[in-house]
Amino acid sequence: MVTTSSQPTDAAEIASASAANNPNPIAKEDSMIEVDDVSFSYDMGKTNVLKNISFNIPAGKVTALIGPSGCGKSTLLRCLNRMNDLVDTSKVTTGQIRIMGQDINASDVDPIELRKQVGMVFQKYNPFPKSIYDNVAYGLRIQGIKNKSKLNEAVEKSLQRAALWSEVKDRLNSSALGLSGGQQQRLCIARTIAVNPRIVLMDEPCSALDPIATARIEELIAELQEEFTIVIVTHNMQQATRVSDRTAFFYLGELIEYNDTATIFANPSVRHTEDYVSGRFG
Amino acid sequence: MATHFKRKGKRVLGVGRQDAIRFFFGGNAMISTFVLGAICIFLAREAAMFFPQHQRELEVFRLTGQEYTNFVIEEMDEYTEVKSLTNQAFYQEMNEAYGIQRGLVDSFGALSGNLFDDGEDLIEELEDARDAVDDADEEEAKTLAQTELDGIQAKWDNFLQAELGKADRTAVDSFGRLGKKEWQELLDAMTAWDPVEDQPPALVEAAKSEMNKGMAAFDAARMLIGSAGSELSKLRGELIKVTTAIKDEAVADKSSAARKKALLEGSVNAATKEDRARLKEQAEKITIRKNFPYAERITALEGSREKHKAAIAALEADLKPGIAALPTDLASAQAQDLVSRIREKGPELIAYLDQSLQESADWRYDQPVSWITSVTSFFFGKDWVTNSSFHDFYGLLPLFTGSLLISIIALIVAIPFSLGAAIYVNRLAGPKQQNIIKPIIELIGAIPSVVLGFFGIIVLGEALREISQVPWLSWVPGFPMQERLNILNAGLLLALMAVPTIFTLCEDAINNVPSSFTEASLALGGSKLQTVMRVVVPTAVSGILAAILLGFGRVIGETMVVLLVAGNQIAIPDFGLGVGVITQPAHTMTGIIAQEMGEVTSGTIHYRALFSVGLVLFTISLLINISARRIIKRFGLAA
Repeated sequence: MVTTSSQPTDAAEIASASAANNPNPIAKEDSMIEVDDVSFSYDMGKTNVLKNISFNIPAGKVTALIGPSGCGKSTLLRCLNRMNDLVDTSKVTTGQIRIMGQDINASDVDPIELRKQVGMVFQKYNPFPKSIYDNVAYGLRIQGIKNKSKLNEAVEKSLQRAALWSEVKDRLNSSALGLSGGQQQRLCIARTIAVNPRIVLMDEPCSALDPIATARIEELIAELQEEFTIVIVTHNMQQATRVSDRTAFFYLGELIEYNDTATIFANPSVRHTEDYVSGRFG
Repeated sequence: MATHFKRKGKRVLGVGRQDAIRFFFGGNAMISTFVLGAICIFLAREAAMFFPQHQRELEVFRLTGQEYTNFVIEEMDEYTEVKSLTNQAFYQEMNEAYGIQRGLVDSFGALSGNLFDDGEDLIEELEDARDAVDDADEEEAKTLAQTELDGIQAKWDNFLQAELGKADRTAVDSFGRLGKKEWQELLDAMTAWDPVEDQPPALVEAAKSEMNKGMAAFDAARMLIGSAGSELSKLRGELIKVTTAIKDEAVADKSSAARKKALLEGSVNAATKEDRARLKEQAEKITIRKNFPYAERITALEGSREKHKAAIAALEADLKPGIAALPTDLASAQAQDLVSRIREKGPELIAYLDQSLQESADWRYDQPVSWITSVTSFFFGKDWVTNSSFHDFYGLLPLFTGSLLISIIALIVAIPFSLGAAIYVNRLAGPKQQNIIKPIIELIGAIPSVVLGFFGIIVLGEALREISQVPWLSWVPGFPMQERLNILNAGLLLALMAVPTIFTLCEDAINNVPSSFTEASLALGGSKLQTVMRVVVPTAVSGILAAILLGFGRVIGETMVVLLVAGNQIAIPDFGLGVGVITQPAHTMTGIIAQEMGEVTSGTIHYRALFSVGLVLFTISLLINISARRIIKRFGLAA
């Protein structure tokens, strides 16, 4: 993991070495998501994969989570829409995640309602083996919307917002699995935004795509930012600089540094961040 | 050079250890393939030989005029069905409308019968004593006889009193037609009953005449329908006798050469001189004909054509007014039902009779039988009759229908259970429940089918019959059940056998649905149930379909349960009952093979017919398996 012996090897050590863990805090009123001292475990609290994470994610911006494999960035992302509930032994051991001021792990929160507000795009594009139209309409249909014209309208609008409409408008009823990889991923984005969430989580959305398809998705992210708060996990440093406003760097389950993307990449305050973003390890 | 890379290990006859292992497994695979191929060839050969043999049998059937006779037999069968429906309706109505009256008449019959049996000696004495009084000439003798008679009479009166006192109402009136009051009235009336004169009490007489009067119109119609076929019935008997005789003669003729040869051999080898002479004489009596003179024999039958025409005309002439005269306003709903069925069937029967008459008029004994007839009469023949004194029929249809109906019921019951269980276990249950439910369902498959069949006879059959007799369930088609062993019972048990197969394969199919689909649906705000219903099941549908097909293959090949529980009645079930058809007994393709294969002589047509049934079964199973594979291959998930 660590390439030079002079590097500190323990994440806690690195964290303590950084004087200000959160040098540029977002004002509470501007933040969409507040992560407050969150620790998370997959085995009922025996070992924590996230350790006392605290930071605020601003509304209407793109926030990138970066860090080497196994650092917990995807886990944190899946905490935000409670997808980790699917693992029976998972547990938030300390702290709170508040979205729009509401603790999402409170007992009166219905994860189904939460996920309607917090959509997710996955690493590997995963359209249903249904038609393009049915894929986009799925989220609305499960909410009980049956009105044909309403659905048509929503499908068209979502596909347009996902920059896919012109490519598929003549074959809405053919299978989604016949599209190219990049198109399938954009379809998944269209499917996610069709239900009008506040937040869109993206878990390495371009890792399975070629450079051209990646560029199109990145353009799309820039456009969607106006309407949605986007949190994106990425392995690709260039991508983070291109699409995100703010970047959080994770290492071994801890948040090492969180700042404006420009600052993180140009002038990180922690040595370890610099090593990672400059490609010296990772 | 070779010393560095030399093969290690011992070699026997140039075969090393690795080679030996390879040959062993290869050999196993080859033997399995070979055995399967041999089975297929054997089955196909035996089955294929059935058809030419069947064609020859049908030729004889035609040449001997048995085919013509069969027209009359079938006409008679159709007519008999209407006749028996009429009788059923009549008795239903009688029981419903005149239950008490019938109860009185029957109970009187039973009571008096018991008295005749138990008081046999006493009654004889009484009769003798009365005769003695009548025969006595002198005054004195008369008085003496009278005294004796009085004594016996008193004895009888006591006996009668005692017998009536201990008469058991539920045993005598077993159908429970009489109330307490009527029973008491009957007993009171019986106290004055005289066994010698054997006159029913006025009460019973009145009941009888009331019943007869009330049922008179129905009875007249019934009689008209019942006697309509008497001429046809007579003709049927005659024709069977005549044509069977021709056939017997023809069959004997066919074997005459062989018999003559055997007798001649015997005459040479016999021990005594007399025996030798006798056997030789017998052998010489046998004449060997090149061709059996069918044309000559059949003349006896040709004369029956006119009779046949007349019999049908007579039948129709009585049947039409008979059916028209059936009363419409009946007290019993069941009788009403039956009568409306008769009214429907009447015109059908007449149309059938006319058509059959026409066909029989066109029938010629010397028309050749084509091989197509041999094939179609097997696949679409409505009768499977073996070891008959008249003619053996090998028609697949009743067996096929039975197998199909039972399998369909089994699937209809098994699919929701197994699919539901598979969805629950795979998607909704916790790991603990999974660990309990899955092995239990899979364990059902471990129950020996003979045990299930036993359970079906003793428990399920009885339970179904009890349930079907509950009065407020009588609206269910086919209820109350006439038979304990029937299609429904067998279908339910087979459903139980199909559940593990369908469940396991469905569960696999559902398990194969990529978790990315589930995650996508959940991330869009879908509930678990919505995810299962809208994403998981539609995605797994090809696997589920294949599971159902394989379940179908499992049940249609099942033998023991159907043999024990289906009722084994070789007839196409009466679809006139609608859904109620499932409460009838049936026989199956598997059942018939299991039942009859042990008793047939190899090489006979019956033996080969069973092989043909086997081949049909094999083909069905094969097709099912192939289509299941195709479905999985074509629509299966790449994941």
